[in-house]
Amino acid sequence: MDFGSLAFLIPGLPVLAFVLTLAFGKKMPHGGGHIPIVAIALSFIISVLIFLQIYPEHGTVEQSAHWFSVLNVGIFIDPLAIVMLMMVTFVSLLIHIYALGYMSHDPGQTRYFAETALFTAAMLGVVLADNILQFFIAWELVGLCSYLLIGFWFRKPSAAAAAKKAFLTTRVGDVLFLAGIVILYFNMYTHVLPEVGSHGTVYLLQFKTIFAHLTLIPTDQLTIITLLFFGGAVGKSGQFPLHVWLPDAMEGPTTVSALIHAATMVTAGVYLVARTFPMFIAAPESLIIVALIGGFTALFASTMGLVMNDIKRVLAFSTISQLGYMMMGLGVGAIIGAEAVGFAMFHLINHAFFKACLFLCAGSVIHAVGTNDLREMGGLYGKMKITAITMLISSLALAGIGIPVSIGAIKLGTSGFISKDAIILEGAYSYLHFGGAYGSLIFFFGVAAALLTSIYTFRLWFMAFTGKPRQERHAHESPSTMTVPLMILAALALVFGALTFSPFIHYLETTYENEFFEEIDPSGYIHGLAERGGYHIPENPIVHLTLAHDTLIMMLPVIAGLLGLAISWAIYHKRMFSVASIGNMRNPLYRILAKRYYQHEIFIELISLKFTYGVLALTGEFSDRKIVDGIIDGISSFIIGGAEVLKKIQTGVVQNYATATILGVALLALVLTFGVI
Amino acid sequence: MLPVSYYLIVSAIVFSIGVYGVMTLRSGIMIMMCVELMLNAANINLVAFSAHFSQVNGHVFVLFSIALAAAEAAIGFAILMNIFRSRGNVNIDNINILRW
Repeated sequence: MDFGSLAFLIPGLPVLAFVLTLAFGKKMPHGGGHIPIVAIALSFIISVLIFLQIYPEHGTVEQSAHWFSVLNVGIFIDPLAIVMLMMVTFVSLLIHIYALGYMSHDPGQTRYFAETALFTAAMLGVVLADNILQFFIAWELVGLCSYLLIGFWFRKPSAAAAAKKAFLTTRVGDVLFLAGIVILYFNMYTHVLPEVGSHGTVYLLQFKTIFAHLTLIPTDQLTIITLLFFGGAVGKSGQFPLHVWLPDAMEGPTTVSALIHAATMVTAGVYLVARTFPMFIAAPESLIIVALIGGFTALFASTMGLVMNDIKRVLAFSTISQLGYMMMGLGVGAIIGAEAVGFAMFHLINHAFFKACLFLCAGSVIHAVGTNDLREMGGLYGKMKITAITMLISSLALAGIGIPVSIGAIKLGTSGFISKDAIILEGAYSYLHFGGAYGSLIFFFGVAAALLTSIYTFRLWFMAFTGKPRQERHAHESPSTMTVPLMILAALALVFGALTFSPFIHYLETTYENEFFEEIDPSGYIHGLAERGGYHIPENPIVHLTLAHDTLIMMLPVIAGLLGLAISWAIYHKRMFSVASIGNMRNPLYRILAKRYYQHEIFIELISLKFTYGVLALTGEFSDRKIVDGIIDGISSFIIGGAEVLKKIQTGVVQNYATATILGVALLALVLTFGVI
Repeated sequence: MLPVSYYLIVSAIVFSIGVYGVMTLRSGIMIMMCVELMLNAANINLVAFSAHFSQVNGHVFVLFSIALAAAEAAIGFAILMNIFRSRGNVNIDNINILRW
């Protein structure tokens, strides 16, 4: 059986679940939560079947129906899409199962499950889209669902505000993305349509068509388009400077945070860059900006993660930081080529597992103690062993703890260790090695962020689970619907990376090296694209470090991770230093971090109020009131005045009308007879 | 046989009297009679041309037009009667009910 023909069911079933849950959920146990679970489980099974079918020959699944003359709707599954599909459905499934327990006391369960089903469907739509317009439509649906879910407890003012903030901030990115699509369309229209138009139907916005004709689009145009696309990714994936919505998005239920941070939404931005990677590599200037923004975000967000006291906010900042790593992993593609996609996606998948686990653990803790504040927790280890251990495992993965040796093809270490190593050592270090101008900066960002990540991750763990309880609470372990997903995710966080590293990377590499690209240029299409943009991808772009020769460099990320663990242990467990002496508002460094670099003030006071409102809005108001309204009022008063005059003619006396008619006819007769008046 | 232009001149004079009446008179009944004058001026033309071209069509048209004029006059007078009932006279200056 050809499972590819079932591909439309992957997003279709969750959509159906959305409708059914809304319609019948109220009358069912758990608010109808079982419907999306069944639907997403089926989607997951279909994804796996398709994967098993296309994996052996590195095939693809393509379905397309045309829509107007140059647009289409369709499904395109290649290695990149199928791994995303499996990850999204699987993680989403576990989160849904967990939510059965977590949301069981909430009166809005039905709405919750309906919205999360739609959220998953939208994300699957993003992954499956075979053209950029369809991608954008699903992308917007993801934004809508995130708005609905972040503001799930909409009666709480802070939740409503956070939902609005998330919606508006990502909207800034979406507008850039849309602008990019428009520019791309016009470029395709002017440069590509004349080339291929004679060969029958051509769908201008289909990824295949775009990639196949990249060489026809001028490089400077591509740079603009890709930068605008990246703007969209910055918004969705919470990169600097549009990351401000992500920490606030913690206002939704914890399961929503897990869904947003692991399986959907934020990964959409990374996926966008990975999906359009050939465009980026043909405009390497954009890729360097991707790498710099990603690296900077990784470091910047982790500094703020150091001082947050809300358990979920720490995790939110770590998500921003890890997404920064993924962007950095993609960005180094300017030097190392298509392998970069493999690195970034590998980290994305691993991150999905351990971050989902971390959030669900946090949810379990919050469920137990009823507070988000780390300062009120402590000593929970004895009371919730499963949560504590699964959280420790995923924290190790997040901090990237492992041993830089490998037994055969299997590396020793947690998933996070292997993927982060791939990005920092193989990606960023190769960049540094091959003399990219920004290589050292990116490498520095990567290592420094690894150190900080480790510190705040274990700070979280030590503060929550060790020491004495700071407040007496009746904590208890969560029910098994919640702990089983935790254990599954923790197991994956521990071993997934080690087991799949090299097959995964090799499989992902084939995304842009499959038959279709070989048709265009068998001798390394991707490399040729980079040269158009003025960059040279070396013959063997990845520097393979060996422990014997490059011990220090090989050990750097590990040292950073372990050092962070040690620092956390010393400060938050052993209490060697007094936390209060550093962590108070009199310390200027602490203050700036706790205030999150005054971003709120900068964005709200300066940019929104002073600049946007003060300058743009007032100018707009002036031109609206005085100029536009003036013109409209002028026109209408002219018409009204004219009508007042003309009204006098309408006497209502038949004779006058008859006179006018007769005079008119007489005049016409004169004109027609003599040709003059 | 008189040349057709003579008839046309008579017709034009009658028509002009009718037009003048429609444009200036105040009484509704008089206006209706002036309309009759204009119709009859047209009838003269039709008959004159019919005779001139030795074709019967014009006569037929005249019969139709007289029949229609009679019908129209009946309705017109009925309307005037109703206006007289409601307003007490048929002075055209009072009948500006078409005005919005």
